[in-house]
Amino acid sequence: MTPEPHDVAVVGAGPAGLGAAAEAAGAGLDVVLIDAGQRPGGQYWRHAEGGRGQHWKAYEGLSRRLGQVRRIPGTQVWLITRDQEGFTLRLTGHDPVTARAVILCPGGYDRQLPIPGWDLPGVMAAGGVQALLKEHGTAPGRRAVVAGTGPFLLPVAVALARAGVAVAAVAEANPVTGWLRDPFGALAAPSKSVEAVRYAAAMTARRVLYRTRTVITEIVGDGRAEAVRLRRADGTQEEIAADLVALGWGFTPSLELPIMLGAETRLDEDGSLVAVVDGSQRSTADGVYIAGEATGVGGAALALAEGRLAALTLAGSGKTARLRRAVRRGRRFAAAMRRACPVPAEWTAWLTESTVVCRCEEVPYGELRRACHDLGADDARAVKMLARPGMGWCQGRMCGFATAAIAARLNGRVATADDLRAFAARVPAFPVALEDLAEN
Amino acid sequence: MRHPDFLWRNPSPKSAYDVVIVGGGGHGLATAYYLARNHGITNVAILEKGWLAGGNMARNTTIIRSNYLWDESAAIYEHSLKLWEGLSAELDYDLMFSQRGVLNLAHNLPDVREGRRRASANQQNGIDAEWLDADEVKKFCPILNTSPHVRYPVLGATLQRRAGIAKHDHVAWGYARAADALGVDLIQGCEVTGFEIDGGRVTAVRTSQGRIAAGTVALAAAGHTSVLADKAGIRLPLQSHPLQALVSELLDPVLDCVVMSGAVHVYVSQAHKGELVMGAGIDAYNSYGQRGSFNVIERQMGAALELFPIFSRVRVVRTWAGIVDVAPDASPIIGPTPVEGLYINAGWGTGGFKATPGSGWVYADTIANQRAHPLAEPFSLDRFTTGALIDEHGAAAVAH
Ligand SMILES: Cc1cc2nc3c(=O)[nH]c(=O)nc-3n(C[C@H](O)[C@H](O)[C@H](O)COP(=O)(O)OP(=O)(O)OC[C@H]3O[C@@H](n4cnc5c(N)ncnc54)[C@H](O)[C@@H]3O)c2cc1C
Ligand SMILES: Cc1cc2nc3c(=O)[nH]c(=O)nc-3n(C[C@H](O)[C@H](O)[C@H](O)COP(=O)(O)OP(=O)(O)OC[C@H]3O[C@@H](n4cnc5c(N)ncnc54)[C@H](O)[C@@H]3O)c2cc1C
Repeated sequence: MTPEPHDVAVVGAGPAGLGAAAEAAGAGLDVVLIDAGQRPGGQYWRHAEGGRGQHWKAYEGLSRRLGQVRRIPGTQVWLITRDQEGFTLRLTGHDPVTARAVILCPGGYDRQLPIPGWDLPGVMAAGGVQALLKEHGTAPGRRAVVAGTGPFLLPVAVALARAGVAVAAVAEANPVTGWLRDPFGALAAPSKSVEAVRYAAAMTARRVLYRTRTVITEIVGDGRAEAVRLRRADGTQEEIAADLVALGWGFTPSLELPIMLGAETRLDEDGSLVAVVDGSQRSTADGVYIAGEATGVGGAALALAEGRLAALTLAGSGKTARLRRAVRRGRRFAAAMRRACPVPAEWTAWLTESTVVCRCEEVPYGELRRACHDLGADDARAVKMLARPGMGWCQGRMCGFATAAIAARLNGRVATADDLRAFAARVPAFPVALEDLAEN
Repeated sequence: MRHPDFLWRNPSPKSAYDVVIVGGGGHGLATAYYLARNHGITNVAILEKGWLAGGNMARNTTIIRSNYLWDESAAIYEHSLKLWEGLSAELDYDLMFSQRGVLNLAHNLPDVREGRRRASANQQNGIDAEWLDADEVKKFCPILNTSPHVRYPVLGATLQRRAGIAKHDHVAWGYARAADALGVDLIQGCEVTGFEIDGGRVTAVRTSQGRIAAGTVALAAAGHTSVLADKAGIRLPLQSHPLQALVSELLDPVLDCVVMSGAVHVYVSQAHKGELVMGAGIDAYNSYGQRGSFNVIERQMGAALELFPIFSRVRVVRTWAGIVDVAPDASPIIGPTPVEGLYINAGWGTGGFKATPGSGWVYADTIANQRAHPLAEPFSLDRFTTGALIDEHGAAAVAH
């Protein structure tokens, strides 16, 4: 006998998913919460066993409210299909789960830009460095440069410094005034700006060199990262020695599940593809709510508020006015932040013919250029067909954004939502073992 | 292998052509090439609404074989296979055609009878075919589980050693480059939206890039053929079904032949880089949605893992589906239509990749001489009114 479907399945137990699950349970719904991690918390509350993270009280508060929630940790949702009853979620190493509605809170992951030398050992995504530090307390180097753009460079730099790593420089590609001193933003999300100021203070205390309007154009080294080349807005260049390079170019929302269910996507201010939601977190697909990073990158507080709002909307609660206002304010701030932290428009000019763009299929930039210039590919889909970037293990999770941008640039334009969509749809959502896929 | 620098020009369409081919998949490209090469007809355009070879040509699992049951089918597929054997050299392009052998498993007594019958029918048609018993199957493909204690025990198999796989994009590019070099215009992003028919004769196509006059119009639009033919007032007895396939992470070489099972509705090969390519049977329902129902593939992979238990931990990175067009007798349609000057090549269903050279060859000949090529005669559209059907359903439930 198949069990009754749950009222709602929440996918992802980061700030958004925890907020959604707690609120939905509070409203009396029968909730199942599924997350790939063994412990809840997502990107934000990622921590070693027994350790404590930032804003721990909020985390503990949420955790206490999960009493009635059925939790399935340590498993990935690799497929969701829609049927008469609602939705069937297929999980790795676990029986499928059915639910009448879904709240998708899958978060995002580091956006990667292939710059010369980015594939050398010692170069990591900023989020990856942060995760290593939070979960294992280990620093994978002695002397670090943190480079890219956006407020998330700061916590990474501070965390590295706290772990005893010499942070030689933080290179922020954009001017910072936009998000650090945006009065609107400060009003809209007080905790956020407070955090930014706190990190800035911590960096000052540790004498971390903080450069704005400075881009990292290359990482050099013989077999591993030894130094980075930085270029400032005035054209001056310098080389700084480092054996650890943390690159943060913002985030790419995880859209596999929303797209699988037919939810529409759009281009966000920072050039990422994000899921379309209304002011109450409804996606354009019936019964599918989306919250957190997948709707646009905006930090933990906003993700949490969105998750709660999604659950209350689903539960039909009449008391969402304040939360809706808070989400609206938070989104405004997040949008300002994203607008202030674009990926530098000229980044594709740093590429050389041999810079590897797609690591899985080992496709260098030269092949993409040839696909466009010699074979006439005029969009990302065609480039993918002719040169095979994004066709390997990661299915474009890593190189999708970059390939879309490169294909557009080689055709004299900027990437469109369609360019990005060429890499965003994935079935299954993650590589899945045949024995998990097969019915037995 | 890297493809050569120059593949094809990207011309704008002229206002008129002797022959307009609708659809730039494998069949359209091959047809254009043979029109130019075999018949000297080079004032030809291929109109492709999307990207060259971005349709089922990009989605198929590239099994090539010719061991079909009926004489008519065997003849055209064998003609195709012979062309495959010289094609890399002819097109001067490495198509990675690998004659590694295709096994068709038999799981029950009717399968065994049918397999033996097919092997002997093939031999009489001059097509290489062997019957292997279970032990010989195990020897030929050691990783196959031939234990009798499974849902689908292996009782034997037919083997065609000359059968195998090729690399689909290389095939498309090879034909495209060669056709282009002979003067054919390959026009991408050009959708045919209608036909101009004057006194029962087609005179032009209407396209997203304007009107293009044509002496002859040849449809090679695979799954979209019914929709197109409808615009010319022709009802085709074709049904569209989703067909699914999947590809795994890269593995060391473990499987050096192709294994197909009609009963299990599944087939497996290991492609050139090391990824497993597996396909499922056809979905029962009609649909134009590009995703097949997942239960189909789940069920079939369950059975496939009994045959290949060593693959259970292998991870699937992608599944996809294409829409295939199938005629009531599961055989293709090639030849003239009731509209003069309008030709059709469709209904290749789950198995048209292997037919690419052969189909292009006979279709080009049919167009050039304005009558069906002898190998195409049995596959005429009017067999559905005369009743001379060529039923390939039974031959293999997965007819790749
Ligand atoms: C380096 C770094 C520093 C940051 N610093 C700050 C900061 O100082 N202040 C701040 O406000 N924000 C910060 N953030 C951002 C913050 O972490 C995110 O905004 C927040 O975590 C987003 O919450 P979320 O719930 O949307 O997604 P996430 O926290 O990413 O959670 C998503 C969860 O879903 C799970 N998941 C995804 N897909 C599936 C699936 N198919 N099946 C099962 N589970 C799945 C994931 O495993 C994950 O646990 C930082 C982020 C990073 C990477
Ligand atoms: C999952 C799957 C697995 C398969 N496996 C095998 C296999 O192992 N072996 C085998 O032999 N066969 C296999 N097939 C079948 C094979 O792919 C097809 O039979 C064959 O590709 C069809 O011919 P084509 O290449 O010309 O089609 P396509 O590549 O689909 O070409 C048709 C073209 O017509 C274009 N078109 C359509 N309408 C218009 C219009 N109005 N205007 C302009 N252009 C138009 C389309 O965009 C398309 O590019 C498989 C199919 C699928 C889906």
